[in-house]
Amino acid sequence: MSLTTERRHPVPSPADRPHGGPVAWLTTTDHKKIGLLYCVTAFTFFLIGGALAGAMRAELAGTGNQLVGPQAYNTLFTVHGIIMIFLFVAPFGVGLANYLVPLQIGAPDMAFPRLNAMSYWFFVGGGVLVLLSSFATDAGGVATGWYLYPPLSGPRYSPGVGPDLLILGLALIAISTLMSGVNVITTTFLMRAPGMTMWRLPLFTWNAVVTALLGLVAFPPAMAAFVLLLFDRRLGGQAFDPLGGGDPIVYQHLFWFLGHPEVYILILPFFGVITEIIPVCSRKRLFGYTGFVLATLAIGALSTGVWAHHMFTTGVVDNPFFSAMSFAIAVPTGVKFFNWIGTMWGGRLSFRVSMLFSIGFLLNFLIGGVTGVMLASPPLDFQLSDSYFLVSHFHYTIMGGSVFGIFAAIYFWWPKAFGYRLSERLGRGVFAFLFIGFNLTFWPQFVVGLRGMPRRIVDYAPGLGWETPNLVSSLGVVVLSLGVLVFLVDVVTARRRRTPAGDDPWGGHSLEWATTSPPPEHNFTALPRIRSERPAFDMRHPEVSPSSPPMERS
Amino acid sequence: MRVALRYLWSFAAFGLAFGTLYYLFTEEWVGSVALWFLGVAPAIVALWWRRHGPSAAVRTSDDAEASPASSEGESLGSFPAGTAWPLFLVLGVIVTGASLVYGLLLLPVGATLITWAIVGLARESRG
Repeated sequence: MSLTTERRHPVPSPADRPHGGPVAWLTTTDHKKIGLLYCVTAFTFFLIGGALAGAMRAELAGTGNQLVGPQAYNTLFTVHGIIMIFLFVAPFGVGLANYLVPLQIGAPDMAFPRLNAMSYWFFVGGGVLVLLSSFATDAGGVATGWYLYPPLSGPRYSPGVGPDLLILGLALIAISTLMSGVNVITTTFLMRAPGMTMWRLPLFTWNAVVTALLGLVAFPPAMAAFVLLLFDRRLGGQAFDPLGGGDPIVYQHLFWFLGHPEVYILILPFFGVITEIIPVCSRKRLFGYTGFVLATLAIGALSTGVWAHHMFTTGVVDNPFFSAMSFAIAVPTGVKFFNWIGTMWGGRLSFRVSMLFSIGFLLNFLIGGVTGVMLASPPLDFQLSDSYFLVSHFHYTIMGGSVFGIFAAIYFWWPKAFGYRLSERLGRGVFAFLFIGFNLTFWPQFVVGLRGMPRRIVDYAPGLGWETPNLVSSLGVVVLSLGVLVFLVDVVTARRRRTPAGDDPWGGHSLEWATTSPPPEHNFTALPRIRSERPAFDMRHPEVSPSSPPMERS
Repeated sequence: MRVALRYLWSFAAFGLAFGTLYYLFTEEWVGSVALWFLGVAPAIVALWWRRHGPSAAVRTSDDAEASPASSEGESLGSFPAGTAWPLFLVLGVIVTGASLVYGLLLLPVGATLITWAIVGLARESRG
């Protein structure tokens, strides 16, 4: 196979090449650098969103107003939600896909490198606008909740430029998602290495493809809703204004047509992450590869038919239909749990930090999933819909799932990206703090939710049985913060120590472990023959693999 | 190519069938239209691909027996060394969007930036 690199000037020698300079990073089209830029930027947003969550929990630690007033509190939960969903978890998944998909399928780069750079900068631009909308407006930040429901987000109840900037920011993020989705799908379909058939794709790549498809499906209707909302706010439109004949329920349909697949956009990449880690750390082939792929496709398909379970209480949607679909989507998710448990069953488990986070993911996500099935039942949902029970369910799914998946990915692929390891000892500390802190924070929220505490309140009266769970929940955030702090210490000390990791420190299965750490420009100097979904394993163990000569020059 | 086309047709069939099923159950238009478009969009891409796309020959990536040597001479396209134009493009889009919020005086600035970036990208991609 051949490839061409466009060079506008004579190529300097490797020693003189300015790979690490800021200009090289800002103008890069290399998928690995763009992937890392995505991850670092998203993690920075995580720190900002986490600080906002800390402020909310400090406010709720006891009765009475401690820190912020009602309007500022509304801004805090609005911006926290938007940052964590659109600027942290989803882009981190995109960053991982950027870094890993070409490496896992044996491609030299993404199909459209300039489009890739563009999608990153649209994401950054969107993020900056979201932050400006929250903190840099005269009329105060956006305080509508992350889903910007009209008429609350309309010009009458939310004047000022904050919501406008937020809508523009979300539109840029949507465009960025569409661009990266097109890139991931095209790359996977058209740039796979010889022998890398669709049924040999690594599971992370499969999940990245389905995530990209969901992004392409889900974002356009929401973008239409955002644009119409902007017209209502700025150009006198009345699409969602009931007084002018508009219908706010249409906004809810369009928004949740994004909003629920978005949950799977947030979780699927990390299903992929732990599916790469668990077989490696169990020293076994994945149990049920085909079933896992079909379950991923089923989740993608069913997730387009569950949006209105967020609208049960509006009374204008077909509750039995959406309830049945929401129950149904639990089935392929359950299949995946069997895949993961079946892989660990009888394996020689090695409890690396990435494996600990993967197991943490399974435990937390199981609780998030089971409570999700409870909420899919309309009679229960009517009781719990606006309570802290729902807040806790959502966090068990996204924070207990995706964020644990993010840390698993960081510890697993860090040696590949940088050539040196993070500390296993400190990593175990990070896991302990995060796992304990997470459960301390969010389990009590199930309790207060069942005791009737509504979400989105800045204060509560004493004597309702809410004080102790809220205090425990707020202390949990302190423990969580310690975990993040230890992680940052781990990153700094590992960077100083730079303990060499080798090209394949874990005995990895997929193709990225067959190249150097960090990988060279265009990823591979030689490709192994691909005869199964574990080409790197086959290359190292020809005695048990179906491959003949282990390496061939490309 | 066959593999990609097969997936596109499958997505199209799913969207059209699911949209119809949803409409029959709920008679709700917003979701039905969204789901039908879920089918129409990949169908459009698949039709275009059938008429104008690369040949339908089996690619080495879809051949389970292929080795790296099988793709000798197959071009994967060209990869740019680096570009600053996406930065200018996003800046232009932000300024244009801001003109809706802060006043139409910003519009020419945003439009100029966008045009400049698109021309730059086009010239750069031609080499």
